[in-house]
Amino acid sequence: MRAVLIIAAKDLRQRIRDRSAIIMGIIAPFALATVFSLLLPTAQSFHTQYAVVDLDGGPVSALLTSQVLPGVVEAGFADLTVVDDRAGAAALVEGGEMGAAFVIPEGFSEAIMSGRDATLTIIGNIDAALATQIAEAIATGYAEEVNAVSLSVAAALGGFTTVQPGAIADLSSRAAAFEPSILVEEAEADSKQMSDKTFYSASMAIMFLFFTAQFGILSLLSERRQGTLPRLVAAPLGPWTIVIGKALTGFVLGVVAMTVLIVASTLLLGAEWGSPLGVGLLTFGGVVSATGVSAMAATMAKTEEQASGWNAILAMSLAILGGTFFSLDRAPEFVSSLSLITPHAWFLRGLDELASVSGTVADALPAVGVMVAIGAATGTVGLMRARRLVMGR
Amino acid sequence: MSGDSRVLDCRDLHKSYGDRKAVAGVGFHIDLGETYGLLGPNGAGKTTTISMVCGLLSRDAGEVTVIGEPIDVGQIHAKQWIGYVPQDLAIYPDLTAEENLAFFGRLYGLTGKQLKARTNAVLEVTGLADRRDDKTEEFSGGMKRRLNIGIGLIHEPRLLILDEPTVGVDPQSRNAILDSVERLSGEGMAVLYTTHYMEEAERLCDRVGIIDQGLIRAEGTRRELVELVGQRDRVRVAADGDMDAAAAAARLVGGVEEANRSDSGIEILTNDARVILPSLLRSIAEAGASVKGVDVVEPDLEAVFLHLTGKALRD
Repeated sequence: MRAVLIIAAKDLRQRIRDRSAIIMGIIAPFALATVFSLLLPTAQSFHTQYAVVDLDGGPVSALLTSQVLPGVVEAGFADLTVVDDRAGAAALVEGGEMGAAFVIPEGFSEAIMSGRDATLTIIGNIDAALATQIAEAIATGYAEEVNAVSLSVAAALGGFTTVQPGAIADLSSRAAAFEPSILVEEAEADSKQMSDKTFYSASMAIMFLFFTAQFGILSLLSERRQGTLPRLVAAPLGPWTIVIGKALTGFVLGVVAMTVLIVASTLLLGAEWGSPLGVGLLTFGGVVSATGVSAMAATMAKTEEQASGWNAILAMSLAILGGTFFSLDRAPEFVSSLSLITPHAWFLRGLDELASVSGTVADALPAVGVMVAIGAATGTVGLMRARRLVMGR
Repeated sequence: MSGDSRVLDCRDLHKSYGDRKAVAGVGFHIDLGETYGLLGPNGAGKTTTISMVCGLLSRDAGEVTVIGEPIDVGQIHAKQWIGYVPQDLAIYPDLTAEENLAFFGRLYGLTGKQLKARTNAVLEVTGLADRRDDKTEEFSGGMKRRLNIGIGLIHEPRLLILDEPTVGVDPQSRNAILDSVERLSGEGMAVLYTTHYMEEAERLCDRVGIIDQGLIRAEGTRRELVELVGQRDRVRVAADGDMDAAAAAARLVGGVEEANRSDSGIEILTNDARVILPSLLRSIAEAGASVKGVDVVEPDLEAVFLHLTGKALRD
């Protein structure tokens, strides 16, 4: 054990001295996290203006104007402006004053209550695509809600094909009152996710962790190149002592880099990582996985340059697939499923769990377990290959 | 030598790489205070042999013991007795000279004051004490070579193994290295020295094993090797006077095998010129010749190697 620590201490001294680990492990991820936090549009910073034209004034349209859209205002995404007619709303949208307009036609409620088709119009602003997309999403959610209400009403009325408008309106109001609106539900879902500053800090940290952890086993190839590996093997050390010493270097570098990033992003960027114990466990899992994966990648190569290249490709691929650059929420389902082979996705998922209102450390444990398992599987392969490298040189 | 003084014992070492036999039955021993040279051209099997001796390389067959303990890739205890100086530089360029020494010293179990004392001692021996805090990437080639050897000495090994330590070294550093090896041997350290420089083997080694194509072709002191192949010392005496009488007188000196008149004097063949030279010169003078100069040409290991292998060392 003493020799393991001696080797790791020597390697750490070298890495700190050449600053490569500091740059890759701390400076680069912190800089990118800062840039992403400041420059990329985020859900929290998004804000728009919506016009609302209610030509119906009925109970179904009221569901939109008095429940759904106020929910959007309450969430801080938009402000509402009531406009009397469609032309006025269109003019405001075209003039760029509004991100989009909701136009509820006359007879909308009656049509719905009569079981006929009704059209809710969204006037979009070509220069505010995101605002228009969100308006469409709100309208779609509203339409689904209304359909659900209608269905529930129809069931309550025992299958009458013609129903009394008054009864439907009453039941619709009661049903809508019991069902949380779509936007309220989404607002709750957002509260389960990390803030953007936390997300970018975490994603850059986990991405660059895979570059930092490589310095451990990679240095075996450096030792071989500079001729010091035979000298290590000639010393009274077992091959595992050398390999474990190298792996420990990568692990310690990873832990230190992650810790510094977590503290720095909390203090300087305002990131909110969550429970220290949970974050500590997730960091442990992330570092184990990064050490294992980079050990495997490094020992597949014959030279340092080749190993660095392969590790970079692997680290970037895993990072992209793992959702470190963009949220996987909008990705196809198979991509989301595929992302679960990456430690990155599990790390971010674990942090999401910690960030939820009711999240506990126990909620993050599955992510920790998966990351440790990935690290153990890849690390076993990597360390076995590293031992062969030491023995065969 | 008794068994107690035996530091290294190698018996019947074999190593093949595929169909190619790199070492095919090498065996030798080294005793306390002895310097043993493995002399052979590049590719003769020297490095493969010492890699097996150091436990760096697994062997196909044979045995190696150091201070009576077996050593192999998986048998690491005996490695503590060995100081290994590889052919290529094996130092960390981004660490200082002192840090390099201290790191390897710690790996051999040195700590605290003992480590400090040994580091200081080796820095003094290698002449690097005033550069101890400089990174070795700033060192000259000769300084790096000296540190490379110094690391092998940090733990005061019983057996120092040097694998062609002077390859690519300037003459001044080369002399310093050879002086160091001579001093260490004089202090009682056993030394295994591989080289393809005949003059280094002749200068340093008490015994030499001539290795070629993975086999030790002959082994012994320089004189034993020379005698083994029937080479003779050649003494050229430049003189004036009656050369025929002088040559006849020389033939009567014990140990002289041939004595013939030449253009400038007499040319004599003998087994050991240094032994007969006083009586030879006295006899020539008594025969009436006036001696003006003497040139002794001793057969060297190059000639022995050529005789044994049919090729020159640097072929």
